[in-house]
Amino acid sequence: MTTLALGLIETRSLDALLADGPPSLAACAERLGWPFVPLGLGARTIGRLHLGSEFCETLLSTEAALRHALARSRDAGLGFALVTPILSDAGLSRLSSLLPLLPDGTEVVANDWGTLRRVGRMRPDLIPVAGRLLCKLIKDPRLPSSEWARLYPHGLHSGPFGAMLDRLGAARIEMDVPPFADLRDFRSTTVKVSVHAPYGFSVKGRSCRIGSLAQPPEAKFTAGQDCRRDCLIYVGGLSRPETGAADLPTFQRGNTLFYRHSDAMLETVAAAMAEGWVDRLVLTGDWNENRRTH
Amino acid sequence: MKIVAPISRVEEAEPMIRAGADELYCGIVPADWTERFRSAGVNRRAFGNFSRYEDLAEVIRIAADAGGTVSLVMNAQHYAEAQMEALGDLAERFARLGGHALIVGDIGLLARLARQGLPLRLHASSLLACRNSETAGLLGELGASRVVFPRDLTLAEIAGIAGANPGQEFEAFILNDGCVFEEGNCHTIHLPGRLGGPICLDRYVIDYGRADGRAPGPDELAALAVNDAAYEEWLWYRFSCGFAVTEAGYPFGPCGLCALPALAAGGVGAVKIAGREGAVERKLKSVEMVRATLDRLERPIAELTDFARALRHRPDLCGTGYMCYYRDAMPGGGDCIQAGKAPRI
Repeated sequence: MTTLALGLIETRSLDALLADGPPSLAACAERLGWPFVPLGLGARTIGRLHLGSEFCETLLSTEAALRHALARSRDAGLGFALVTPILSDAGLSRLSSLLPLLPDGTEVVANDWGTLRRVGRMRPDLIPVAGRLLCKLIKDPRLPSSEWARLYPHGLHSGPFGAMLDRLGAARIEMDVPPFADLRDFRSTTVKVSVHAPYGFSVKGRSCRIGSLAQPPEAKFTAGQDCRRDCLIYVGGLSRPETGAADLPTFQRGNTLFYRHSDAMLETVAAAMAEGWVDRLVLTGDWNENRRTH
Repeated sequence: MKIVAPISRVEEAEPMIRAGADELYCGIVPADWTERFRSAGVNRRAFGNFSRYEDLAEVIRIAADAGGTVSLVMNAQHYAEAQMEALGDLAERFARLGGHALIVGDIGLLARLARQGLPLRLHASSLLACRNSETAGLLGELGASRVVFPRDLTLAEIAGIAGANPGQEFEAFILNDGCVFEEGNCHTIHLPGRLGGPICLDRYVIDYGRADGRAPGPDELAALAVNDAAYEEWLWYRFSCGFAVTEAGYPFGPCGLCALPALAAGGVGAVKIAGREGAVERKLKSVEMVRATLDRLERPIAELTDFARALRHRPDLCGTGYMCYYRDAMPGGGDCIQAGKAPRI
């Protein structure tokens, strides 16, 4: 059966979420303000906690948050993964101070090749996972048909990509569900496959629009800018009303543009789960479209 | 420091080298590829490519006669296995023609090409998003003799990565084309204009909400509107100030000329002019600008910076900092930045 992992960037909801042991997805939805529970999985309980951002170095976990999440997940009997974004050298240094806190056999989801290499070199007893930023495939929420994605086929299950994962010790990849997903997208004969739902990302930046909110003009939209973490407060719904196009629902959170999966995409995921090709589903806990109304 | 410049037509090769380019780069989408894969996806760009092997051979010959070299882009972010095999064949043909280097955007393809052992250099494309020393080290282990830095690194980060990998060559962007996001983490298609074009130029309307479900207050909405106005201004600069040029034909837009001394001191050995699909006049003027500035590399930094900033005769545009690839190179540590004044051409 497919394991369910809850992905969180912040730990402030953790104590309440795990107060009675592993929560159901319905309880997660209620606590975290999700607009819906995908795939009718509301009654299923989570088996894992994944802490950290895939998209922004500023959101790399702190030591305190990591210790907190490790303790709560251990108490609740949950598997655990530290999730990391694409990192600068400064970020790698911060990560290097986090890695000693992880028990043997803990998963680390890396989203750049250098981070994957660093984890293997520094803590070979940890389990490196290739995050979805390393799993390249076309994910444009505006595509009017599957023909567009066919023009640029992915090589996630190719020999050369598999050899790269093997070289770096990654036996698991994390994938997004692309628009017009094909069941075969999720079939790997060499690595385990985790799939993110119900949101995929299309593109991320380093310069950050919402991260510039509190900055003076000269410090906005630049590499390594200061940041007040306004992405934890605001989410931007994106639309193209002039086009009348049937885009996937699209939103920007922080430096990243996301899309919500269509019913057809989720049905493909369900079919891949039924085939046993997706052994883990990662639910985006708290850095999503958060369209809760009070 | 070498100037790496784009071409898309045979007749561009000789004048580009005469203008000061050391290395030319180009793409090819040959008919046998299109027939086999029904796609132009040999590289990142659907346009601005050669279609005939004869043209590629001619460009290599012209460049060699003029003292330059030719590199071939294989810089799509990902390829299917059958495409990688075809690219291996294309690489062999390119080597036989006397090509210099392959610019590769897929890490699996990079490793595969290295194993072929062809007499070609391998350059890790900016699409491989080398943002740290570990990635640069890995790319070197895989066979890359040069790493092209992505946009959006600071000069200190560049120097740190280069310093940690002293045996590695590095290349950095110097003129033209500014992605809003990170191209190495962009999984969209530059759609035709009628479908929206590049996603970062698409006319999205943004509707802000709060993650806690409360409606943003008037002060919040006002602050968000001010930020979005600045964002729109930044986008204009990022997209080459409306793709405008000076009276002398020098292009406005993303630029790192002031940073050349820091890039050189930081271990960067080559600088890249982007814009393979651009007009030849734009490419030639770009090479002229970089060559003229590089020729002053041994002069005092302030003198070089003044020269670079005077090239376009628009200190107000330079002064925003929004044209800079490396804003940390701004004279006076950024004190002169005047962003928010919304100058226009």
